[in-house]
Amino acid sequence: MERWPVMDAFIDWLYTTPLSAFVNGYPWVWPILESLHFCALTVLAGTVGLFDLRLLGLVKGITPAALHTTLRWGVAAFFVSAITGVMFISGASEQYFYNNAFRLKAVFLVLMGANAALFYWREFAGIQTLGPRDDAPRSAKLIAAASLVFMVGVMLCGRMLTFFRPPFFH
Amino acid sequence: MIELLANVERSALSVWVRESPSLLAFPFILFLHTLGLAMLAGINVGVDAWLLGRRKLPPFELPNIYRVMWLGLGINALSGVVLLAAYPAKALTNWVFFAKLLFIGIALWVLQQLKGELAVAGGTAERDVSGRARRLALASLLLWTATIFAGRLLAYTHHILLASEGL
Repeated sequence: MERWPVMDAFIDWLYTTPLSAFVNGYPWVWPILESLHFCALTVLAGTVGLFDLRLLGLVKGITPAALHTTLRWGVAAFFVSAITGVMFISGASEQYFYNNAFRLKAVFLVLMGANAALFYWREFAGIQTLGPRDDAPRSAKLIAAASLVFMVGVMLCGRMLTFFRPPFFH
Repeated sequence: MIELLANVERSALSVWVRESPSLLAFPFILFLHTLGLAMLAGINVGVDAWLLGRRKLPPFELPNIYRVMWLGLGINALSGVVLLAAYPAKALTNWVFFAKLLFIGIALWVLQQLKGELAVAGGTAERDVSGRARRLALASLLLWTATIFAGRLLAYTHHILLASEGL
């Protein structure tokens, strides 16, 4: 993979930050960050996934509005994921910036965000009135299916990161 | 014991998972383990969060949720066995691995208890979230957190990676 001077300059700067020094300065930081990142992923996937399954009609017997309350946990988990993710990047920038799996993961994250925005813009008001056994509109189901696909994409790419490390990363 | 683990490492499955350059070997099985975690622990945590965030439960029935979780458990168990076959000594000589199994066992027991509690709660009228349901949901959150920490720390706490290297 070809190295970019601008990217390298940014990576060099990142390595001078106190955050990078903290992440690389103690042997226990990285394992703890990984554990927190996985916990956050679990909460995010569980709360958003549960809501998506309800919209898809695979889980019924509860109103989407009642399940929507759990998404607050999902939002909190997303922030934990983001913070730990930034800490990973500050500690081993080359591993991420020169990694096609990470680039694809970033694309899936953007798609997840855009999909969520689309849901709140177009569908949220409509699903608020649905009863426990009502079907969500087809457009809401499509958004829920896309949400699940993008989330699995994030997980897959996250897991593949290690196997797509650039050769010059140590 | 070490000889037995070394024999497992020499099996065709173990060698393929560990040494194959294919992304469908170790990387994809690792991904399946994460997917199973999201389906089992993730959905379980979603239910826990839902319970802990409410004072009253609306009428509901959620049989399909358990099907998703059991499917996740199946994926995790299968992928876990294959990952164990790849590096048996790494896990079986590390107490953290057994702690992880213990946490999973208790978390599954708690899930069964919670399922019973929710079945009682699900009726036709709104009712209070019972104290027992809250305690079970909290225990579930803590147990899955402990499981995830144990799973991640396995990579950093093992003393032996391959039994066959020491023979």
